[in-house]
Amino acid sequence: MTETAVYILIGLIAGPLLGGSVSGLDRILTARLQSRIGPPLWQPFYDVVKLWGKEKTVVNVWQAFCAYCYVAATSIALVLFFLKSDLLLILFTQAVGAVFLVVGALSSTSPFSQVGAHRELLQILSYEPLLIFVAIGIYLETGSFKIAGLDTWNEPLLMKLPFLFVVLGYALTIKLRKSPFDLSTSHHAHQELVKGLLTDYSGPFLALTEIGHWYEMVLMLGFCSLFWASNWFGMMILILATYFLEVLIDNVSARMNWRWMLGYVWAMGLTLSLVNIIWLYVG
Amino acid sequence: MTQNILSARSICVLLIVLPFFVAGLCYFTRISKIRFMLVLITGCLLIAGALALIFLTPFGFSLEPIFGVRVNVMVEALDFFLLTIILYFGFKHRSWVIKALALFQLIFLAYFEFFLVKDGISSTTFFCDHLSLLMLLVINLVGSLICFQAIAYMKNHETHLQLATSRQHRFFCVMMLFLGAMNGLVLCNDMGFFYFFFELTTLCSFLLIAHDGTESAIKNAIRALWMNSLGGAAFIIGLIFVYASAGVLELQQILISGKMENGLYLLAVALLCFAAFTKSAQFPFQSWLLGAMVAPTPVSALLHSSTMVKIGVYLVLRLAPAMNGTFLSHCVAVFGGFAFLSAAALAVGQSNGKKVLAYSTISNLGLIFACAGLNSPQAIIAGMLLIVFHAIIKALLFLCVGTIEQHIASRDIENMRGLYTDMPLTALITVMGVIMMIMPPFGVLLSKWMAIEAAARNLYVVIMIALGSALTVMYWARWAGTLMSDPFAGRFKLERQPLLTWGALGVLCLVAGITSVAAPWLYAWMAVPALNVGYPAPFAVNRGILENTTGAFAVFPLSMVAILGFVVAILAVKKAAGARVVAPYLSGVQTRTPGVFKGPMNRLVKAEARNYYLAAIFGEPRLTTWINLGAGVLLTLIVGGTL
Repeated sequence: MTETAVYILIGLIAGPLLGGSVSGLDRILTARLQSRIGPPLWQPFYDVVKLWGKEKTVVNVWQAFCAYCYVAATSIALVLFFLKSDLLLILFTQAVGAVFLVVGALSSTSPFSQVGAHRELLQILSYEPLLIFVAIGIYLETGSFKIAGLDTWNEPLLMKLPFLFVVLGYALTIKLRKSPFDLSTSHHAHQELVKGLLTDYSGPFLALTEIGHWYEMVLMLGFCSLFWASNWFGMMILILATYFLEVLIDNVSARMNWRWMLGYVWAMGLTLSLVNIIWLYVG
Repeated sequence: MTQNILSARSICVLLIVLPFFVAGLCYFTRISKIRFMLVLITGCLLIAGALALIFLTPFGFSLEPIFGVRVNVMVEALDFFLLTIILYFGFKHRSWVIKALALFQLIFLAYFEFFLVKDGISSTTFFCDHLSLLMLLVINLVGSLICFQAIAYMKNHETHLQLATSRQHRFFCVMMLFLGAMNGLVLCNDMGFFYFFFELTTLCSFLLIAHDGTESAIKNAIRALWMNSLGGAAFIIGLIFVYASAGVLELQQILISGKMENGLYLLAVALLCFAAFTKSAQFPFQSWLLGAMVAPTPVSALLHSSTMVKIGVYLVLRLAPAMNGTFLSHCVAVFGGFAFLSAAALAVGQSNGKKVLAYSTISNLGLIFACAGLNSPQAIIAGMLLIVFHAIIKALLFLCVGTIEQHIASRDIENMRGLYTDMPLTALITVMGVIMMIMPPFGVLLSKWMAIEAAARNLYVVIMIALGSALTVMYWARWAGTLMSDPFAGRFKLERQPLLTWGALGVLCLVAGITSVAAPWLYAWMAVPALNVGYPAPFAVNRGILENTTGAFAVFPLSMVAILGFVVAILAVKKAAGARVVAPYLSGVQTRTPGVFKGPMNRLVKAEARNYYLAAIFGEPRLTTWINLGAGVLLTLIVGGTL
């Protein structure tokens, strides 16, 4: 019982703490890649605190509802992850958050929000099946959808599921809204959609969406960590390497449109998953 | 014990005979108030009867002769009468397909009854196990609530049509008949009876779809009649083959006859599956269900949720043990998965709210068929739970759309933009329905989770389910967001609706929520006993958590957390109501009117956005032909593969 409580607490705290730091690191790395110095590591936290202190303005009160639901769902998903729960359940809970974020954006009539929301839906449509494929791959290897099933695994999953790790990489890039998949919104509010999905969230509610995103980020990196769960050192290397690759891809690629995203990601995701899963079956 | 069976028998007779009796009364009662009271009282009695059976299930019994005539003989006679009526409609509407199919069925029914079956007396004519019980609860609870709402709806409907004389007596007569037929269908054990009720629902749906009497109503009703007659024809041939191969006519005995090596027996099961697919409007027979939306909304609600389309999935779930481990079962799983994915894709391309609902029904039914085909205990349970949750929530959503349609005179999702300002409570209930359709910890998603985990080793099926569920999220989320899409300051005025409408919507919403939270117990008390022998319980229930070695779903704890989160979010809304409300950002000089900004030359520009329907990819003209083709190939495989 106390153990469960401790895990719940870890999940709730680790999300914002790790997520904020990672996104601080992200900004520094990106700056260095662009020959800038970049902000301090803690800048994302300063931003959120500053937003939290701003005046509350809404275009529609249900935006507040959606922002809270987003944070609630993503934090529950992360807690479930730390409780070593069912992978599919975690995915579905995470999707609840994503849907509420979209509904909140749709509740504004601004075309920027609306188009951003629809693009976000297309992003969800692109990565959602991929994540399910990854969960199925893990199940086929370990015999369980529960993360707890990995406890007895001595060999990194990466050796058995390399292609599925690539598939997860696609999902991760879309979920983190990195180029070439930053269609619905991105860190830079100077694109054709202004801030897209997040255009009409402001003040404390924008801060909430940021916190929710941190939870999501940690959850996604958590999924990556499952591929080398047998060893702490290997896990750290895998996560850091993956994240560095994400930043690199973000900086060297241009944004594409949703048609390309959907076609490319589904085709690649399906092929790679099939190859890997059939290989598992035969081998 | 005997006393229990006696009371169970009288309740069953009540559930089947009362609606028939009241149907007759409704037809001859021309005073609307009395008719409404009749419908209300009957509905309440049906609900009470179904609930009472919870304590008596399982049981079986057969009927004694009435006035010296065996009931079987009476049903046989009614069978012929029914087919003659269908034949009559074939002549009336000059449809050669209906005529041909009705004649075909008449001939083979005559062969079956007079030449094939020597000893037509079955020892247990009626049998009620937990699967029947689940169906009975759904039919009577959801069906009655739909009838209640129909009272308010039909009054508005006829005022709108400006009819000289009311045709409601016909309408409620057929609605009641339908409920009686459904109750009979899920209770009977004798396949001859099953066939009679099966055909009766076909006729009822025809009459209901044609109710408004417009040209398109008649056209669509005829289509529904011939497609379902095709199912009826497959059914009677299947029946003949079953009897020829297994030598029994009782459902329960067919299941345990274990003749799976017998090709004729498998062909019979395949034909029964084919009949089920037509009833459940699976591809390529989807057009009758899509056409059925010309009927008044309560009819759609009834067809889509608790009756008609549920017959097909019920039949295949029942037959699942009879095809366990066969190639046929595998094909049914693939067929179901295919329907789930294709219908979801078609739903994405629709802006017509009722069509979205219709495709979503086809999609969910496909998932249930996939579950039946996967044929593991976990999959069968997922299918059963999906029947229950889908029925409740789909009825709710249809009634919501009907209410909205009567208010805004449109069923297009684009016209429901910002409906929250106009009809806050209806919009909120609709959004609740959507949330319960796609989000954990609610029942539909719980069943989907079970289905995916059960399908994980079946590569084709699980891929189709994974892609389909992503598409499902897309079309539902879009709709929910559109309903709320309006600048809104937090004070709403409740719209006026008849008490019966609020009652039906409220109770359905509540029942959906409560059954979702109570899903682990619903699973343990209802679904597990409904499994056939040889299917062990797939999950252990521990403090509201469904768990086995491969997965876990913390239904109850998550529900509690969800309620907590919901309360916090509602408090946030209350607080935000005090916040400053601003116009949405439009990248121009803001004005006080939302959606309008000052553009070049100081002109006011109205900004507008519409939803993505992606017709170029997911439109009907683009996909339907290919999907029908694919489904046709799979159907050929299902029936031909057993030869």
